[in-house]
Amino acid sequence: MKHTIKAGVLLMAAAFAGPALADYPEDGSITFVIPYSAGGGFDTIVRAFAPEVEKALGATVVPENISGASGTRGGQSVARAKADGYTIGIYNVPGLNVAETLDRDLGFSLKDVTWIANLAESKYAIAVKSDSPIQSVKDLCDLGRPIKLSDTGKDSTSSIAAVIAFNIMDCPIINVTGYGGSNDTMIAVMRGEVDATLKPISSLKKYTDSGDLRLIATMTEDTAVEGIPTTTELGYPELAKFGLNRVVGGPPNMPEDIVVKLTAAFKAASESASVTEWAAGSGTELLFMDSAATKVMMDDLGTFYEQYKAMLQ
Amino acid sequence: MGFDALLNALLEVASGGGILYLLAGVMFGLCFGVIPGLGGTTALALLIPVTFGMESLDAMYLAGGVMGATSFGGSITAILLNTPGTAPNAATTFDGYPLAQQGKAGLAIGASACASAMGGLIGLFTLIIFIPVAKEIVLSFGPAEFFLLTVLGLTAIAVSVRGKLLRGLIAGVIGLCFAFVGSDAITGDLRFTGGINYLWDGIPLVPTLTGMFAISQMMELALKGGSVSGGGSEPAIKMKISGVWQGVISVFKNWDVLLRGSLIGTLIGAIPGLGGTVASFLAYSSTVQTDKDPDSYGKGNIRGVIAPESANNAKDGGSLIPTVAFGIPGSAETALFLGILVLHGIDPGPTMLLYNEREIYGLIVAITFAAVGASLLGLIFSRFLVLITRVDVGIVVPTVIAISLTGVYVLDGRMADVLLTVIMGLLGYLMIRFDYPRLTLVIALVLGETAEKSFHQLQLISDGQALQFMLARPVSVILIVATIITFFLPIARKMLASHRKKAA
Repeated sequence: MKHTIKAGVLLMAAAFAGPALADYPEDGSITFVIPYSAGGGFDTIVRAFAPEVEKALGATVVPENISGASGTRGGQSVARAKADGYTIGIYNVPGLNVAETLDRDLGFSLKDVTWIANLAESKYAIAVKSDSPIQSVKDLCDLGRPIKLSDTGKDSTSSIAAVIAFNIMDCPIINVTGYGGSNDTMIAVMRGEVDATLKPISSLKKYTDSGDLRLIATMTEDTAVEGIPTTTELGYPELAKFGLNRVVGGPPNMPEDIVVKLTAAFKAASESASVTEWAAGSGTELLFMDSAATKVMMDDLGTFYEQYKAMLQ
Repeated sequence: MGFDALLNALLEVASGGGILYLLAGVMFGLCFGVIPGLGGTTALALLIPVTFGMESLDAMYLAGGVMGATSFGGSITAILLNTPGTAPNAATTFDGYPLAQQGKAGLAIGASACASAMGGLIGLFTLIIFIPVAKEIVLSFGPAEFFLLTVLGLTAIAVSVRGKLLRGLIAGVIGLCFAFVGSDAITGDLRFTGGINYLWDGIPLVPTLTGMFAISQMMELALKGGSVSGGGSEPAIKMKISGVWQGVISVFKNWDVLLRGSLIGTLIGAIPGLGGTVASFLAYSSTVQTDKDPDSYGKGNIRGVIAPESANNAKDGGSLIPTVAFGIPGSAETALFLGILVLHGIDPGPTMLLYNEREIYGLIVAITFAAVGASLLGLIFSRFLVLITRVDVGIVVPTVIAISLTGVYVLDGRMADVLLTVIMGLLGYLMIRFDYPRLTLVIALVLGETAEKSFHQLQLISDGQALQFMLARPVSVILIVATIITFFLPIARKMLASHRKKAA
């Protein structure tokens, strides 16, 4: 009896002492915070990556959806967690950068986040109804009235990109927001109630494939879709800066060795067969960046949006 | 081509383990439907991560089972406890609960089970017929039509509260005021949030519904004492549990109600943002309005159970119309279902019916089986379920309150939701005491948001010429006419009745 109690106490002591002693990530599981609800774009990419990251790290990865307040609630919970590598999160970029540029209180600072990796990036394109007489961006701008565009919300990243991009091209727009999701905004173009929409190329693809929509320009540096001009070719190189990124980060001041391990695990995962296969099926454009490159990109984005601050307010 | 795919899907569900996932979904959905505060949305949200490791078709069976079963599950508590298990069952309480109080719970449950199954079948049949033209249907409903549908819904509120018009309108206006809380869907401006971050996204629906219907009803029961069918402290001894089959048969006798309910359900289901609560409410109010004897409703008319129950199952079929056409969700449940598809590497969109026909038809078959299966299970267990009305409220009340508050918390993990549920419960209780209709408040809350947003969009896309814009669209014109009829029919009928009286 006495021995069992002793053994039990020892066992408990070992269990509690465990985390301090073991080498990362040998004990316990890694919580991967998703700032949106299950089934969305952020959720899906995390769940596609999680099993491969698990394999590479040798530790369990548990995706946890903490949605709310436009993705800031999830970010806050990561920022509050211990910087021990057992809590990481995915971030809404550039949505959060824009919010921070506009001095909104995120409950944490993007500058403090320990950036681990960039997983994917999508670029935007401008699309019109397939049987529309509009053939080019010039046609669109020459309508003689403000262009009507469709979007989900005024604060959505594509809406922000549209406001800035058309301002740079010097075309006045009316952004009709309030549509339920990005699919609804594209259907609004098909119904003909708006002239065009600015959306990620990957989301537009299914409707251009089905013949309902037609691209008139992609906001990229190099040709992204055969036969469609880029905004760089049209003389607006800064428009290629806009994009949507899936970025992984952790609490402030994470130890360097843990970041290195995590970055390596995400790199391995992004090269794995299951992730590349998933990406091909879902139209996701994988773009791996290590922690240093991600940090540079995040700082760049901050300065990029800072210059349009007045336009966004 | 559609029916071939359907037959294939039937074969696939029958072979292999599919049927097990389907049954699991049905049981899960039934349980979540029965418990106030938990519904199909919560059930699917909890299941999404579970489906990750599954075959995509098995995930469809599981999701379909849940979607098809919750609405019938919810009608059980609506009838027995006056507490709708899910929001769309709210309209079922109007006549279902009076029937239970009269000791005819068996009749009501039988009718609800049969109406649910038949409604589900009709909804899916309509869906399959309309799949080839699904695209055209979705494209003919823009912001103008959404706005007009909400006006139609709000008009139905005004005329549905028979005899209590002023109270109904007051409740409706409170609901509309609630709908304006939060950031404006178009401009992003914050309104009436009182500096509380929680209110930025508006007043959330699930806590409101749970508070309004479950918590308030439990307060009422607790203060009344006894048991549901016992009335006061006297135990009800001579309550009959028979009548289930009569209920089933009554659905076929009232086939006109069934058909109208199902069609309204399918149509409203196809409109994103309105959902089952509005569908069953409109089905109920239109049945009352067109009946020869509108005064018999609210006192235990079986037609008042058939109409909402057929509508809230038919809406599942309808909500798949925008899904198969464009990959946009018609309801909260289909939104989560699309989430499951995305998780399985399927990109919801117009090509889904080409590339993922197997999954779509798998889901259709699963929902059909689930609607029928849940009803059969319900019929088998109804004898025992009815006993709930005899259980002392001292047991029922704490159980329901604890479970529903937990359910509200589970959905998003926010304690503020629980607090809101309690506040809405208090408000709901006051409304019961002072005889204000609660459902009109909820309907106005649901419709208010869509109404405001689509009106604003309509103004933008029509360059401020909203009326001209609407009159140029045929569907809009039909909706305007329907609204005018809904508004004037009761008045015309009243005038006619008094005229006849004078003549006599």
